[in-house]
Formats: sequence, structure tokens, C-alpha cells
Amino acid sequence: MSKNNKDCLLKVDGLKKYFPMNKGLVKAVDDVSFSINRGETLGLVGESGCGKSTTARTIIRLYNPDSGSIELDGFELASLSQKRLMPHRKKMQMIFQDPYSSLNGRMTVRDIINEPISVHTKLNKNDTKNKINDLLERVGLNAGHANRYPHEFSGGQRQRIGIARALAANPDFIICDEPISALDVSIQAQVVNMLEELQEEFGLTYLFIAHDLSMVRHISNQMGVMYLGRIVEIGESSEIYREPKHPYTQALLGANPVPDPRIVRQKLKIIGDIPSPLNIPSGCRFRTRCPHAMDICSKEEPQLTGSGRQVACHLHT
Amino acid sequence: MTDTINNNTFSSDDWDNGPKEEFLKSENLAPSMTYWQDVGRRLRGNIPAMVSAAVIILLILAAVLGPSFSSHSYEDQELSFANIPPIINLYQITPGRYVYMHRNLRLIETTSGGDLIETVGMEKEDLFKKKMFYDIDGTRIILDYSQRPFKLTDVDGKPLETWKKTGPGGYLLGTDALGRDLFVRTLYGARISLLVALIATLANFLIGVIYGGIAGLAGGRTDNIMMRIVDIISTIPLTLYVILIMVVLDSGFLSIIIALGSVYWVNMARIVRGQILALKEQEFVLAARTIGTSTMRVLFQHLLPNSMGVIIVTATMLIPSAIFIESFLSFIGLGVSAPMASWGTLCSESLDSIRTFPYQLFTPALAICITMFAFNFLGDGLRDALDPKLRK
Repeated sequence: MSKNNKDCLLKVDGLKKYFPMNKGLVKAVDDVSFSINRGETLGLVGESGCGKSTTARTIIRLYNPDSGSIELDGFELASLSQKRLMPHRKKMQMIFQDPYSSLNGRMTVRDIINEPISVHTKLNKNDTKNKINDLLERVGLNAGHANRYPHEFSGGQRQRIGIARALAANPDFIICDEPISALDVSIQAQVVNMLEELQEEFGLTYLFIAHDLSMVRHISNQMGVMYLGRIVEIGESSEIYREPKHPYTQALLGANPVPDPRIVRQKLKIIGDIPSPLNIPSGCRFRTRCPHAMDICSKEEPQLTGSGRQVACHLHT
Repeated sequence: MTDTINNNTFSSDDWDNGPKEEFLKSENLAPSMTYWQDVGRRLRGNIPAMVSAAVIILLILAAVLGPSFSSHSYEDQELSFANIPPIINLYQITPGRYVYMHRNLRLIETTSGGDLIETVGMEKEDLFKKKMFYDIDGTRIILDYSQRPFKLTDVDGKPLETWKKTGPGGYLLGTDALGRDLFVRTLYGARISLLVALIATLANFLIGVIYGGIAGLAGGRTDNIMMRIVDIISTIPLTLYVILIMVVLDSGFLSIIIALGSVYWVNMARIVRGQILALKEQEFVLAARTIGTSTMRVLFQHLLPNSMGVIIVTATMLIPSAIFIESFLSFIGLGVSAPMASWGTLCSESLDSIRTFPYQLFTPALAICITMFAFNFLGDGLRDALDPKLRK
């Protein structure tokens, strides 16, 4: 893997986030480790409720991690207080899923984009105005939109405003938390293309969360598959796509629609629903739905093995 | 399986075939409307709310300016002109001399326009026949109170004709039992009620909104403790607070103000907390937090502006009940002290003579009703205007 000779921007190691509930602990993120190289994209996929968003929100410190380390650009963020975190905040920003609730309806587009600028920089009025206009044009809107309110825009346009806001602090790293799932298919392509252009232009690094696998394949260099708070397979996305090793990854890829009716796919069927994160199965957490489940699966939890391409499955040890 | 997937992936060029979104040129767009412009437009279309707003504005103007247009003050007593109704029957005795027969067996001389001059002295009284004899410029008239209704007759016992019905000059709504002008006193009562409304609004905004906002934003244990305090405050009746404060302070009105100011914000605090709890999980608040916006700025720039609709509606709905609480406390004698007048004390004073002089109850009661209606209709209208989804 090329990780060693490239510049690693984000390194997450052993990240854990548990939520105490009345009935017990919800292990939303349970020992997640990965790293992203500068200028690259890691795609994170998995079913609803598998902990993708919680991972993202813990990395950006909306939640305080229970253990583990988050190293951004050489700085350890996991243990910093919110106050000491402030100077690092501008280095990572987030694009949210729902363009309707991610913009404050009582603020103009100018005020929305101005928020990170005013928090993190000391630009004068004129420079701020120019910067906002530049950002708007960069995301495909125009300066005349600055005085308008979010409700006057379509979903795609609102997502562009959200992207402009994320860019306003000049971040190195952007977490895209399902940025296109709420958009029409035709708009999705535009937004993804724009994200790619922006990545090239500003040298951005993305953590791209999605459940549309072809989209993840398209945008990301690396890909991680999460199941019940854990990464079960991680590696180059083209490799995972070509040869998924973990049964869960195989099932996920098999469920992905192929736009060609002549192709008959062999589907690996997995049965049942994702187990409750309140009581995670012993051993391998996928064993309850795995067609290849063996004796060892219920006794021993498989660890991620391999270098570069890592799989957590007893079939591959 | 893996091969089939591999053959059907997308290349970058495929994405370029997607439709390009056309953005409207700025000059072609409809003029931008802010949220509040939109609310104003909807509110203007609501006739009851607009009428109510006009009534409230009139009430404020009348309370502030009204008393200065009258020659009487709220505390001037004129015992000889006590209990004068708003409309009086004048009798012409001789051309140029007019009298009004008061219901408590007095003749009051008036001008032709109805201005009260003075009580006419009685010549003699026949207690046995229940008749009073008067001599005005040589014309003798008799006030016969042997049977109801009392009547004014000439010496032959023939009833005098009513010359005209008119208002007692200067007293627009008549006078109370101490001869004080009811109109001025009602306006003065409006001042008290509006002051109470102002205090209640201030308490709600300064304490309720901020308290609820902080509780909702902090969450967890802080929220729990803060809301239990609110629960305790709201369990103790307001009347008890007023009485307890009255023990320390003399003035009834001041204790009402202090009681309202210190405990009348609890409903608002609860509602604001609920709003904040719902809003703080919204993505725009998370976005603000990832940006690093300070907590206070999140509260005042993101959370409270988005709850403003509910806050305004709640405040408008709480005002009439604050006014009613003051009137009620004054009515049962815990409110303003004489000679100050509130609508509650006016009602209470008029109860003594409600059978003889019902007009005295009518004015303050009507004032309370109109004010409560106006604030409630305005609150309803505001709620519809602020949240169009709530419309029927």
C-alpha cells in the first residue's frame, strides 16, 4: 500500500464512542482505525445505523470519543478540550446530508457563508464580501444569491451553499456525511463532480460517507466497509470492488443495482436485520447473518488482518 | 460475480452527460422576501388580528394620552355628583333652569347642555307622604318617592315631561360612588393593565427565554435541575406569592408587579426549552458547532431566532392572562390601593351598587373583555402568520 510513502493527513486509531442508554451501552463506534492520505478520499459505506455518521461526528468532535486517537495533520485532537480544539476546527469541516435542515432559514446566504469566516479569520468587510462572492461562484451560484434566504433555493443549490460554507474556513479535510443522498439523481452527479473539482483545486482530503456504492467507488481512493460500529474490510476501493473478501462486503456489492438488464448476478443473500447495537453478537458481529458462519465465529472476534487491504473475517485468516 | 460488477462501473466521462442545472440570472428572480416580510403579509390578511392590533394600539394611545384630555383626574372626588350615570334625563323647570333627578333623591341643577351645577336645596320634606318639595324661581315641584319609579311632579301631582336626555357634561361615562370620573378611572386602569402586560412580557423575554434557552442548550443534569426549579415555582399559586410579598411591601400593586416579574416566566421557559431541545439536533446547529461558533452565538444567532415565532405567540397569549391575574387580584382586594384604579378594583367597587348603578360595572368589565379578546385574537393571528402549516 502506498500509505507509507505518501503524506498521511488524518489518522484515526482505536476510536470508540459509546452512548449510555437506560438498557445499557450502545456501542455506536467500536474500535475503528483508518488513515487518509492528503488529497485522497476514503469512502465509508455500510447500512443505516452501522455507525458511519457517528464515526464522522466523533472525528469532528461533535461527540467526545470514549477512547482512541484522532490525529489530524500531526495534531492529536481526541483529548483536546473544546476550547483548545478551536484553532484546529478550521482545518476540518463537514458537509451534511439534508440540505434543508443544514442551513439556518433565518440567515441570508451571505451570513451563512460568513459564519466560518468571522469565527476563524480576521478579514475586513470588503475582503469578506469578495471571498463570499468568490465562494458562491466557485460552487456554481452567483454573487446575486448572497442576499437571499435558503428557502428560495432548490435542494441542489442549498447543498452548494453548504459546500461553500464548508470551504469558507479554508479547510484541509472535509467530512461529507452522505452529501448526495437527499438529492435527485441528476443533481447528485453535478454535486459529486463539483466535489471532485474542488478536491483537485484546493488539495482537499475527503471522508466520504454514503450508501450508494457506485458513487463511493467513483469518488474514493480507499474504501471502508462498516458493520455494527466496526470496519470489516478496508482497502483500495477498486480492489474491494473487484474482489470483495468479507461476506458482508460481497452482500453489499451484490445488492448494488447494475444498470444492465442482461447481466444476471449471483446474489449472496443475507437474512434478517442488523442486530441491535445494545447487544452485539459474541465473536464476529456479522455471524448471525453470515451464510459462511463457522464455530469459531461465535467464539473469537476476527481482527483486521493483512497489510493495505485488510479484512476482519475468519475465512481470511 | 466480481467480473460483472467490474464491467459495469462508471467512468468520469459518464457523469458529464448529466443535465446541467441552469441558474436563473439574478435580475430575473422575484424580489427576495425575508421570513418576517412574509409573516407581515400573512398577518395583514387576517382581519380579526388586524382589528385586534388596532384596538390594542388605540388602547395604548388612550391610556397614555386620554386622561390628559379630561378636566377631571382619577382621584378628584365630588361627593355631590356621586353615582351620576352616563345618560341623564333633564327636566325644564323654567326656561334657563334645568334639573336632573338623581336616583338617591336629590335634584341637581344643570345647564341646558347637561353640565352639572349644584344640588338644589329642598324647601321641605313630607316624610309621611314621602314627598320632597322644591321651589325653583317660584316654580314649585314635588319629588314623589312614595312609589317606584320615583317621579318629579308639579304641585297638582302631574308628572313633568323629560325635556331631553343628555350626558352629564364632563363625565363621559358617569361617576362612581365618590363622584370620581369613571372614564378617566377606566383609562387609568388601562395604564395599570398595560403596565402589567409590559412587565409580564419583559419577564418572559428577559428571564423565561434565556432561562429556557440555557436549560435546553445545556441539557443533561443542568437541564434537569433548572426544570425542577421551574416545576417548584409553578406549583405555588401566584396569589400566595402576592400575599407573601405584601407582608414585606405595603403597596399591593408593587407586590403584583414583583410577583409577576419573578415567577410569570415559567411557561415561557418550558416552551423555549422544548423548542431548543428540538432545534439543537438540527444539522445547521451541528454545522455551527463544527465551525466552532461559540455557545452563546449558537443560542442567539441560530436557536432563538428559529424559535422566535413560538416565543412571540406565547408572549402574546400570556399577556391577557397576566392582565386578568392583575384584575382578579385587584378584585379580591390584593391589588392596587385607593385612590389608584385598576379594572379589577373598579369592578369590585361597582359591585356594592350593582342593582342601582349597573353602568359602573359595565365599563371596566367591557374593557377587560375587549382587551383580552384583542390580545387573544392577535396571538391567534400571529400563530397562523408565523406557522402557515398550523392553518386550518
